[in-house]
Amino acid sequence: MILVNYAAAALVFCLGVYTVLTRRNLVKIVMGLSLMESAGYVLLISMAYRKGSTAPVLLHPPSGTTEQELAHGNVADPVLQNIALTAVVIGVAVTAVLLAGVVRVAQHYRSLDSDDVRELRG
Amino acid sequence: MSGASASLLPLAVAAPICGAIAAPLLGRLWTRLTIAVSMLALVVSCALLALLAPQVYDGEVLVEHVGNWHPVDGSQLGVTFAADPFGLTFALLAAAIGAILLLLTISELGDLGGKEMGGYACLFQLLVAALVASALTADVLDLFVWFEVAALASYGLTGFFLERPLALEAAFKTMVLTNMAAFFVFVAVAVVYAGHGALNYGQVYAAMAEAPRTADLVALGLVVGGFGTKAGLVPFHGWLADAHTAAPGPVSALFSGLMVNLGLLGIARFVFDVQAPNRGDVLGLLAVVGGFSALVGAAMALAQDDLKRLLAYDTVSQMGVLMVALSVGSPESLTGMTYHMVNHALFKTLLFVCAGAIVHATGMTRLSEMGGLARHRPLVTVAFVVGAAAIAGVPPLNGYVSLGLIHHALEGDHPVELFVLTLAQALTVAALARATYLAFFRRRDDDYDRIERLGAGMLVAFGLLAGACVAFGALPTLVLDHVVRPAAGSLVHGAEYARATLADGGRVTPAEATFDYADPRQALVIGGTLLLGLLLARWVVRHSEPSLLTAVRRAHTGSVNDYASYAVMGVVVSVAVLVLT
Repeated sequence: MILVNYAAAALVFCLGVYTVLTRRNLVKIVMGLSLMESAGYVLLISMAYRKGSTAPVLLHPPSGTTEQELAHGNVADPVLQNIALTAVVIGVAVTAVLLAGVVRVAQHYRSLDSDDVRELRG
Repeated sequence: MSGASASLLPLAVAAPICGAIAAPLLGRLWTRLTIAVSMLALVVSCALLALLAPQVYDGEVLVEHVGNWHPVDGSQLGVTFAADPFGLTFALLAAAIGAILLLLTISELGDLGGKEMGGYACLFQLLVAALVASALTADVLDLFVWFEVAALASYGLTGFFLERPLALEAAFKTMVLTNMAAFFVFVAVAVVYAGHGALNYGQVYAAMAEAPRTADLVALGLVVGGFGTKAGLVPFHGWLADAHTAAPGPVSALFSGLMVNLGLLGIARFVFDVQAPNRGDVLGLLAVVGGFSALVGAAMALAQDDLKRLLAYDTVSQMGVLMVALSVGSPESLTGMTYHMVNHALFKTLLFVCAGAIVHATGMTRLSEMGGLARHRPLVTVAFVVGAAAIAGVPPLNGYVSLGLIHHALEGDHPVELFVLTLAQALTVAALARATYLAFFRRRDDDYDRIERLGAGMLVAFGLLAGACVAFGALPTLVLDHVVRPAAGSLVHGAEYARATLADGGRVTPAEATFDYADPRQALVIGGTLLLGLLLARWVVRHSEPSLLTAVRRAHTGSVNDYASYAVMGVVVSVAVLVLT
């Protein structure tokens, strides 16, 4: 357990949610979503942590450890790190799509205020 | 043993993905070729799945460990694809209805340029591929990935008419809410993996049975929020009506008939197949969420003036009905739920195809502008009435059977749920009766300026979908024995399915349920809701909107911030309920 990391993830997540819920500027909403995603990455990397472990690279182990020790599990969890990497890639794609949407909205509505962009309601 | 046939499973997903890659390239050469190749890809996918159907509906689970990564000592590192009857039913529906809707596109959007058609066909096939794959996968992370693929494709399809401000608005709301939903599912998957070191359904199931953790319930709460958004359950439903209103006709049909079911599939998989050993009181939570969705959706549908928006809110209501049926968890209710899921895909697609045909023919979307279409468009009228009557449960259409099963399962132990569903059913009948009257049978004095002919694709789609509605209603025993009961078995006997995904195959026992066509109580309930609904529709057409309905409408402010707040509140409450009870 590395509490500071978990606390940081929670804090960044709350900031992101706060931004999405209270900011009316569409770009800020996208930023809020990105903050939420970043909180996810921090959470995943923290969950992959194991006390006294090294990076999950089996070649050329750091001094004082053998390859056998690494293969028997004293490494950070590579699957969670992989999931985090996947999430980074997805996050970039989704942010790009979101921002493209914002650009289009700005061109048509001449506004970035979410209160001006609510013809569909009820 | 699964043998060679199981190795066809990934191909059923690969075919539409190949089509999706080819479509934009071919679109630059020749528009017709794009459509032909895309159709071919979907038909191939459908045929591959149909090839496996006899084996799977016989109770066999076909398992393919992708890349030949077989499980070792009860742990699986690679991704597993497994065709169980429930997943295959969903995948077959997605591929078949997807193909029908693509055919329809030719008549409705045939005048698109090559570049646009290429992009459209690409996104369309990506969405279908994601739906097929999420039904077949047996890996929680893979499920998230396909959820995300479906989400990205749906953003593009919602905002397809980039020159229309409404489409952009709807696309942005959909993006924000679906993106949050994807984040919830993602964190849920990570929490499950961090706790149990497993991603394969069967492995997670076994690990949870051995060492349940409180964190699992947090994950399940996030799953309900994430997939609940995709399913359009209240309070996560803010995006749904907007997306359906703004998207092109066939896309609305694809969203409502198939994509929202992805949310249902995700929740059903987690609740019955993955997290069954440690799920807390999720069934109670789903009953409440489903009941609210059924009522709010039906009430909102009653108050709409836009035809597609009305049908979209009805989807919210129907997903609520499905969720209530799911929450009972008995073999009969799950059989009814599976039957109703298939039926909803059929009749809601049919209704949206009709709505698209009307919009295409007259250029009008508002009920208040339409009227007298029964005289101008008799065929569309018949198709729409068939769809509406199927939802209302008029025998011999399919809604009668599935609603009968669900109502019968609720009798006795679940009086509150039964009351809520009956009320929602009456509201649904009223909403659809009002729409049918206003659009088709009301007198309209001045003639339409322009009314276009129906394309051949539309006629084929009407025929196939309406025919399926009648067939699934007229032959309940056949459908139950050969399709629906085996499919519900994957949920009722989740342990068997979970075990199969971690082995080289297995068998699933069909669920036990029977349907009696001549049950007088069912006829009474359907007759009663029909009568009540028609009276209500008459009242609503003549009077102004009741104040309670206005209040519910006011809560749908259209502001993306508000919708996001509802969703976040919903997730927080879901997690809290599951962890604290």
